[in-house]
Amino acid sequence: MALTSPVPAPLIRDLSDEQFARRYGCDRFSATVLANRYGYIVEHMCGRLLTAAFSPILRDFYDFAATVSGPPELDYATPAMSATILLFTGTMTDSVRNTVEEYGVENVEPGDVIIANDPYRMGTHVNDVLFVRPVFHEGRLAGFVNLKAHQLDMGGTVPGGFSAAKSSVFENGLVLSPRPLLKAGRPVRETWTLIYANVRFGELLYPDMQTICVNLDLGERLLCETLERYGAGAVHGAMEYACDRSAEHMERALDRIPDGAWEGEDVLDCDGVDDSEEYRVRVRVTKVGRRAEVDFSGTSRQARTCVNATALDAKTSVGVAFKYLLDPRTPFTSGTARPIDLILPEQTVVSALPPEGGVFVYWELNQVVLSAVLRALAQAVGPGAMGGDRGSADLHNATGLLPDGTPWVSAAQCGGEVGPYGANRHGDADSQMLSYQANGIGMAIEAIESGAPVVVMRHEIEPDTGGPGTHRGGCGVVRDSVWLQPARHFFMSFRYKHAPGFGVQGGGDGAGGGIWIWDAEPDGFPGRTPLTPEAYRRAAPVGGVLDPDTNVPSRDGAYVYVLERPFWETRPMAVLRFLTNGGGGWGDPLEREPERVKLDVRDGYVTIEGAARDYGVVVSGDPDEDPENLVVHAEATRRLRAEQRRTRSRTAPTA
Amino acid sequence: MIGVDVGGTFTDVVEIRDGRVSVTKVPSSQTDPAQAVVEGARRLGVEGVPVFNHASTMGLNAVITRQLPKVAFLTTDGHRDMLDRGRVWRPPDRQTDPSWRRPFGDASKPLVPRYLRRGVPERIAADGSVLMALDETEARRQLAVFGRCNVEGVAICLLNAYVNHAHEERLRELVHEVLGDVPVSISSETSPLAKEYARASTTVIDVVMKLIFDAYSHRIDDELRALGFRGELNFADCAATLLPWREALRKPSRIVFAGPAAGTIASTRLGEAIGDRNLICADVGGTSTDVSLVVDGRPFLNNTFELEHDLVINALSTEVVSVGAGGGSIVGISPSGDVTVGPGSVGSEPGPACYGRGGTLPAVTDACLLMGILAPEGFAAGQVRLDPALARRAFEGLDTPLPVDRRIAFAFRIAVANIAEEIANIAIRHGVDPRDFSLMSYGAAGGMLLPATLDLLHVRRVVIPPHPGLFSALGLLSTDRVYYDSRSAYVLLTPQSAPQIAAVYELMEQRLRARAGVGRDAEDVTLRRSFDGRLVGHSWETPFIEIPSGPITGDTVQELVERFHDVYERRYGNRFPYVPVQGVTYRVELVVRSEKVQYAAGKPERTAQVRPEGMLDLRHYADEPLQAAEYRRESLPVGARVEGPAIIREALSTTFVCPGQVAEVGTVGEISIEAATRAAGGSDRWP
Repeated sequence: MALTSPVPAPLIRDLSDEQFARRYGCDRFSATVLANRYGYIVEHMCGRLLTAAFSPILRDFYDFAATVSGPPELDYATPAMSATILLFTGTMTDSVRNTVEEYGVENVEPGDVIIANDPYRMGTHVNDVLFVRPVFHEGRLAGFVNLKAHQLDMGGTVPGGFSAAKSSVFENGLVLSPRPLLKAGRPVRETWTLIYANVRFGELLYPDMQTICVNLDLGERLLCETLERYGAGAVHGAMEYACDRSAEHMERALDRIPDGAWEGEDVLDCDGVDDSEEYRVRVRVTKVGRRAEVDFSGTSRQARTCVNATALDAKTSVGVAFKYLLDPRTPFTSGTARPIDLILPEQTVVSALPPEGGVFVYWELNQVVLSAVLRALAQAVGPGAMGGDRGSADLHNATGLLPDGTPWVSAAQCGGEVGPYGANRHGDADSQMLSYQANGIGMAIEAIESGAPVVVMRHEIEPDTGGPGTHRGGCGVVRDSVWLQPARHFFMSFRYKHAPGFGVQGGGDGAGGGIWIWDAEPDGFPGRTPLTPEAYRRAAPVGGVLDPDTNVPSRDGAYVYVLERPFWETRPMAVLRFLTNGGGGWGDPLEREPERVKLDVRDGYVTIEGAARDYGVVVSGDPDEDPENLVVHAEATRRLRAEQRRTRSRTAPTA
Repeated sequence: MIGVDVGGTFTDVVEIRDGRVSVTKVPSSQTDPAQAVVEGARRLGVEGVPVFNHASTMGLNAVITRQLPKVAFLTTDGHRDMLDRGRVWRPPDRQTDPSWRRPFGDASKPLVPRYLRRGVPERIAADGSVLMALDETEARRQLAVFGRCNVEGVAICLLNAYVNHAHEERLRELVHEVLGDVPVSISSETSPLAKEYARASTTVIDVVMKLIFDAYSHRIDDELRALGFRGELNFADCAATLLPWREALRKPSRIVFAGPAAGTIASTRLGEAIGDRNLICADVGGTSTDVSLVVDGRPFLNNTFELEHDLVINALSTEVVSVGAGGGSIVGISPSGDVTVGPGSVGSEPGPACYGRGGTLPAVTDACLLMGILAPEGFAAGQVRLDPALARRAFEGLDTPLPVDRRIAFAFRIAVANIAEEIANIAIRHGVDPRDFSLMSYGAAGGMLLPATLDLLHVRRVVIPPHPGLFSALGLLSTDRVYYDSRSAYVLLTPQSAPQIAAVYELMEQRLRARAGVGRDAEDVTLRRSFDGRLVGHSWETPFIEIPSGPITGDTVQELVERFHDVYERRYGNRFPYVPVQGVTYRVELVVRSEKVQYAAGKPERTAQVRPEGMLDLRHYADEPLQAAEYRRESLPVGARVEGPAIIREALSTTFVCPGQVAEVGTVGEISIEAATRAAGGSDRWP
């Protein structure tokens, strides 16, 4: 298809003072100051949620976003978004617009808080409730301050909602169409009671919602002060300026890569019905001049359970991929994705429609979309490409009762939540991160153990699992936990079938991970569970692509379907192991300096065998007993590398 | 009294004898930092000096540059990667930046490389019970490896050791058995607080600081004695409180970042002298502005701080936020044509273009010179001649269609606006309203930039203290000796828990008194108790809830719960009285009052009319040049009033009183600047 670039408009920097003032209603200096100030306002709106939220996912995983947005006549332009969770970035502007327009612009008054949570109207999932506070200046609607924040529970069939098995909107949770939570500053009783009549943990939702409203008050106050000082003309002009500025950043970044069209795809392993169907996200990225188009045609149909995502989520991850590769340092605004068009057929797995299937575990598809676009763009940016991260958030939840009947919950603590990134031209990757689209505080093991009957026995990287490369991908992370009480476990790992930690620029893929359970030993506390094949053989496999005989991860193994059962029950002293996938490598591993390979052997990121196999580097010595006296054999390394290059050229497909 | 502030470039030495301040600056030495301290002492003379107070950023610099001794880390088997993980999070503004790496992670620059981080089989549960005994054979084997690698010190942090320290104590014995007399820090002693990562990183830094400071402090003590010094040698910590140097060496993680907090203490002390208890303190230097708060006469404290992103240290510290804007901040042009200032800096070498040391990038100092705020002669006590032609050429070199005049004007205004926004930002984050605060403005570049923020910030006034260029070193003579200790225990606050809490405090208090050598009825000693608590369900604590004096009874605990809710409401705007409160960390501070700098009040002279030394053209401030009066600070008597625009010069600093502002010299020599509109009606001052 033909994609043409319009004649480029003059750059903002080339505008004369008069042109600038005409376009933005203020001088350059004020526009710069105001654009910064919007950033501060959203930062302040986040501060208290970070320290005063009860929901652990809010406070530890930053699962919320704050924005400032313009009035309807600016089409709700969003000049500032908080640097909280990337998963919300593409959805916020539409969330606010759809919510206010449906509620009716004519119905909003000073002091209102309008809420809504429907993923089909506003992306992400039902637990993410949007709170909108209109801001008035001299009697006119001058903008909005907004918070979208994950609530601990929104009803539905599963406590907390974290399940991939729910199969429709009706099981998923309470859907709130746009409605006031506060009207002219006063609580709207029937909205609060509607919520509390449908959700669990109301005693924790209430303080969180109170905290959110207090933060909206603060944001409103700061925006009002700004309006009083600079006037609505300058404030609105600077909002457009901030958005234009980020659109221009992206346009100029696009201009720097060659024109062309590139394809990429990636896969979600399964949904919650069975493992007969993989869900493929296929993208074709076309770039001409300063614009790009991302076409999702060929993407799989909507899934049968709530692993789906909506079009706004697809928009998020396209934006995030372009930011990572082309414009990494500037903040997100509603202008960021302006030069990028999406073509997205209805009712695919990333453009789901109600009511069947449902949308809950949307973030796993964000990861698949991100992978697909990163793979496509890797061909466009050459050495700027990034290896894949471990691909899944690998969330695990467990629940149970203490002997005295008190319920306990361990949420997103003992799965594979912490895992590796892929490498890139800037160097080896970190191994202990959340995913490319999440950020947050990893809970201290001592805090986990003081809150739930569990002992975390191991949290360490596993050697030889990082994608080999000139720069090495992060290594997979093993987390072993001993459950001291009967426990029910929920798993949400969907990225084993195809290595999500893909290598780039000649780098290798990261190794595959898995999940295992060892049933309780008769003689009490099990101590350490070894990482040996014998130990794996005794385990019950829960997920991964594993050798059917040994249960060890193997590329040629068989897929073990993670949702074979909706949850696993374990007896006291059972051991759970998560091994995350490895991150992708960057660049040819045979080009890695042998000294760096030796240091990896010394530090246990690579074994002596792995050094020879994956890097062609011959190292001898004992990294455990005498780590400083390892030796690289230069001549043997040269020969081995030469041989590996020959083998590679023989087996490489002819072009 | 002598205060010594060891900085990267200069070691500032300040002496107060009979109320008179004398000063010397000695070039710092990277290879032998003690030498500069001793040289400073020699110049001013230490005989008969009662106290010699020392602050240094040496520890911080060693960590940031990774010029570290070789230390090893021993932990519970399976957990050696806790130091690579930190608390996992990335800086929020670097989330899509592929070049970001955790600065202390294995993919970047770890403090301890992975092969020297090793696990020992053992396991203590969250309640302190032993799940697995310590495997001493394996511990000895790992220690032998450390021996083979010639490690100089060992940090030990085992999981849940904050509840049960037995295995850590035993491991320390084994270290000495296998490796001999090397420094060892164990987490249950260094920082017995919950959450393993912060405790582990504090313990690693602690043993590193032992290695860095041990020989250094002995050397200084010896040489001072040789010069005839018979007083007390004290080290300042991260809260700019003092402790005897031998005490400091017991837990030197506490002194890793001494220096910036001293300015806050100096402000507090000056604030007392002029009756101002609410201060925003801003130290404007070459590369950055350090901002801190004094609320109701007390600096704003934190219970942890970070040496770099997420490199956490558990120690009481004055909260000092560093903003990337100072005299050396680089003026640039963004792709969309904005004039930008910072966060990059020209540093001290080559420095701003006008220094003539080869710098070609314009900096804020260049803008101030071209405006006329700075004079070419007399900068930094006459040590540097500033060249306006070079400054102008640097601005001409910027890639923008804006005329040069506008570039200079914007550079100054953006620099001022950035600092103002950051200060407002810090104030809001702490829930304080700048309108109730005075802005204490010091550091060499404070006076030339901060008065211009008055009108953006709405602070009550800007105060330029006497000796603004050496104000931080004065802070070392404005502070007390403080011994403190803290420990963690998750306890639900109910009247029944009173005995448990009382026992925790009793034990800490006894030990502190023994260490400080003071009895129960010692004069000049105050005991401060506080705790960090949380609502049940929270994972973050609300720190520093004060505990009333006297025995801790069931009634006290009720009172603590109330106080918790009060503090929580004040900080977060909500009150949840129906949610139970859990105590997490308990803290005792033993304050031994020390001799401090006295600000002598002068009498206002009746003839407060002062005549300027001359007039100059103030350019690039308004559309047309303005006539500004020029004064020498030392010739302004108490009570003198100066109307802006005016420039007040002194040896190490320059104050720019903007049009529409009035400066008045206060009783202890401070310059107080307010908007003229406060006194008389006036118009908006920005042109």
